[in-house]
Amino acid sequence: MKPRARPLALAVAGGLALLPILLPHPFVLTIATQAAIWALLAASWDLLSGYTGQISFGHAGFFALGAYAAAAVTKHADVSPWLGLLVGATIAAAVGLLAGFPALRLRGHYLALVTLGLAEIIRLVAQNWMTLTGGPFGIHDYRGFSGLPTTALAYRQAMYLVVVAVVTAAIVVMYQVCERTSAGKAFRAIREDEVLAQTLGIDTTRYKLLAFVLSSGFAGLAGALYAYYVQLVSPSVASAATTSLIIGMAVFGGLGTLWGPVLGALVLYGLYEGLRFVGVVYNLVAVGLVIMVFVIYLPRGLAGFRRAA
Amino acid sequence: MRVGAGSLTTSADPAMLESLLEFLIQGVVLGGLYALFAVGLSLIFGVLDVINVAHGEFFAIGGYLAFGAVVLLHLPGALGVFGAAVGTFLLGLCVYPLLIAPLKRRLGGRPQGPLYLVLTLGLSTFLQSSLLAVAGGDYLRVPPQLTGILDLGVTAVSYQRLLVLTVAALLLTGLFAFLRFHSEGLAVRAVSQNPDAAQAMGINLPRIFALTLALGVALAGVGGALMAPLFNVYPAVGFPLTIKAFAITILGGMGNPAGALVASFVISIAESLSVMVIPSQWQNLIAFAVMIVMLMVRPRGLFGRSVPR
Repeated sequence: MKPRARPLALAVAGGLALLPILLPHPFVLTIATQAAIWALLAASWDLLSGYTGQISFGHAGFFALGAYAAAAVTKHADVSPWLGLLVGATIAAAVGLLAGFPALRLRGHYLALVTLGLAEIIRLVAQNWMTLTGGPFGIHDYRGFSGLPTTALAYRQAMYLVVVAVVTAAIVVMYQVCERTSAGKAFRAIREDEVLAQTLGIDTTRYKLLAFVLSSGFAGLAGALYAYYVQLVSPSVASAATTSLIIGMAVFGGLGTLWGPVLGALVLYGLYEGLRFVGVVYNLVAVGLVIMVFVIYLPRGLAGFRRAA
Repeated sequence: MRVGAGSLTTSADPAMLESLLEFLIQGVVLGGLYALFAVGLSLIFGVLDVINVAHGEFFAIGGYLAFGAVVLLHLPGALGVFGAAVGTFLLGLCVYPLLIAPLKRRLGGRPQGPLYLVLTLGLSTFLQSSLLAVAGGDYLRVPPQLTGILDLGVTAVSYQRLLVLTVAALLLTGLFAFLRFHSEGLAVRAVSQNPDAAQAMGINLPRIFALTLALGVALAGVGGALMAPLFNVYPAVGFPLTIKAFAITILGGMGNPAGALVASFVISIAESLSVMVIPSQWQNLIAFAVMIVMLMVRPRGLFGRSVPR
């Protein structure tokens, strides 16, 4: 982003973020809160797949891991949700690290298929491990964040602020890593030409694993936020439709920019929820169309429009 | 000498043998379905270098076409299967010129990365939700093309299941004969081995790409029409099969239709026999576990010809 455009963009983003507080309608707050969670998820996918070029088809799995881990520790061990966020992120990051090892040998198609298989395994475990996950009914009846107001509207507002604060912090961390550190340069070098990156002395193994850990960890954090916000985690969060939506958002926004997928998630989620008024079934038709049209004709996504202008 | 798990007593052996046979037969029938599905997927990958994430949606469309022909138009069951084959073939013919070719043109000679995966994921979401929009989410029942049960003494198999197996055997024999002896089939194999050389020999590449894609998805369409009476039809019926077929094609070696055929039976028989050892709800894990292990140990698959790109 051009330096002089940045304060303006930040001011606009900040103003928009405060809008649901100034116009406190439960429906607006619900959509805005969930959109923020999706923004974090899309950005986490972009770090791994957009920046580093390691395509994951399994982010629904990391998201579900974070959500289940957070819900389970709070329900079964009465862990504070504030700590639960950390638990969700850590467990997803650990599994992401494990998933990263096959990625050291595999590229493109094969990596996508392994991560898809991993997400499917996570979904099956969630569906069948009754004692821990509640099976098809999922986990419910656990407490939310402590210390928030108790009246309905004020609680939603506070919850929105919590989610936006966590999401913003996480996205800033990812942005700093990708744009300000040598890790970010290594990520892009791996994406452009892994062999060349290696010959230039970049420890590609280390940076690929780092990208996996960061990406899956932040996806898990998004899952934990989701668990405490929605107060229900069921196996369907791990479904391939979730991954499809994440990838759709990132492609829509523009890969490898972080803020593109964030914007893509906010717009597409708004569209997705907005289209419910037209008909529940048409929203995913639109997501499918958006993915196809943008992949073929607008590969830079929404981010590309800014460059063109 | 006692064979099998030590926990089983001597008196249980005849019953065990019986169920072993029963599961084996089930596995072989299931293998016919997997083969119809996975051979097409593998053929498409071998020729177009595209993993068709939307393969299962053509399976679902085949089921809906059979439902339309048999239940809505009161046509005989055989026409339903035929209609599904023709319908999915024609639909498949459109996929290359409308989606794959434009992306290919835009990319030029640049590496494709996983863009085709994302593209067909978009197609999958689009088709699946379009089916939901048109036909609704209800489970539709299709009457079997054949009724009755064949009594084999130890176990019984419905004629419908035998029909699936027979049609699969005939179609796949036909497909392999086509690839082996027909001049178009020869062209398909030539393109699969070396597209540039094939084009230099005067083979019309776009034509072969479109034809291969249509053939591949039509196999899935026939599978959908034949399985409709056993599975019921709903928009997402094919997607789990797609994911499983990825595992099968990886086991068989990507782009190797004959390998996919063998791997289909390996997975299906392993799945049905697994019921004797592990709870049945976990049997779907087997394919993904095999896939991940295979990718880590021998990514080229059992019969693969090349290492992954």
